[in-house]
Amino acid sequence: MSPDRSIVKQGIADAVPLFVPAIPFAFVIGVVIVDSGISPVVGWSSSWIIFGGAAQLTLISLLGSGAAVAAAISAGLVVNARHLMYSAAMAPVFQHQPRWMRWIGPYLLIDQQFALAMLRADDDRRTFRTYYLSSGLVFWTMWQITTVVGIMLGPIVPVSWSLEFAVSILFLGLIVMGIDKYPKLIAALVGAGVTYLSAGMPNRAGLLVGAFVGILVGTIAERIRE
Amino acid sequence: MTDLLAIIAVGTGTYLSRGVFILALANKKIPDSVLVALQFVAPAVLSALIVALLIDSDGNIAIGVAEVSAFVVGGAVAYKTRNHILTLITGMGVFWLVRALI
Repeated sequence: MSPDRSIVKQGIADAVPLFVPAIPFAFVIGVVIVDSGISPVVGWSSSWIIFGGAAQLTLISLLGSGAAVAAAISAGLVVNARHLMYSAAMAPVFQHQPRWMRWIGPYLLIDQQFALAMLRADDDRRTFRTYYLSSGLVFWTMWQITTVVGIMLGPIVPVSWSLEFAVSILFLGLIVMGIDKYPKLIAALVGAGVTYLSAGMPNRAGLLVGAFVGILVGTIAERIRE
Repeated sequence: MTDLLAIIAVGTGTYLSRGVFILALANKKIPDSVLVALQFVAPAVLSALIVALLIDSDGNIAIGVAEVSAFVVGGAVAYKTRNHILTLITGMGVFWLVRALI
């Protein structure tokens, strides 16, 4: 087997198990698209235009719930702001890559891809590129397929199941699994509490207020901890 | 049409947030204070979203025993197993069960 082929195989083998946790997100996105009244094709286009589960779920749930479009877009963008960290961390590695790779790389830079790519930062350029594109294409292809399956399942799932509540459960799982120090717990509790208190604000703008205050208080708690 | 434009807006923003340092600012460092704040984006925004999604169109919070039970059990399962599929199954299971009982 040529070295390239073995790297491609390695990229695929590493990506497949990491995709498994994303499957429920893909299904729920599909169902929520059907629920939201957005045209299924437009809803699904978010899988390749955005290619990011949390932002897709946020945007589509909010559009479907009658939030103002500006509030829905802002929330979707804020959810994905964490990718700035990935971009900064990967920038030195990508400086050795050809221009086309620097344009394609960010598109594939989802959470799982970042986790895998950081482990490969010391590979030679060609090896890194082969590995990055292999694992990235696995994530991308599986994401497109599983969200389509979700959209096909959507009309079959009875409304009485209230499957839109699954979005909240999935987000709760993301929060709980991401909390590795108490300032993050504080950020989460404050974010929820302030959003609750500003529930009366028009167009669900309270969400952005809650998110902002949560980030602020979490940052202050981190300063105190240090 | 509005939906598609909203998706394109978030898609463009997402691409830029993933690409800005790789494409343009490779030699620039994110200030430490911003890096500290970025860690709290996910927990603060996601929890705010959970609450926002439970607010009905009149601005009232539509949360009852079923939702709270599902959060407690789902949160515990997420903490113990760190498994999204198990979290979803138990959370929704408790939600449906409690809703059927009351």
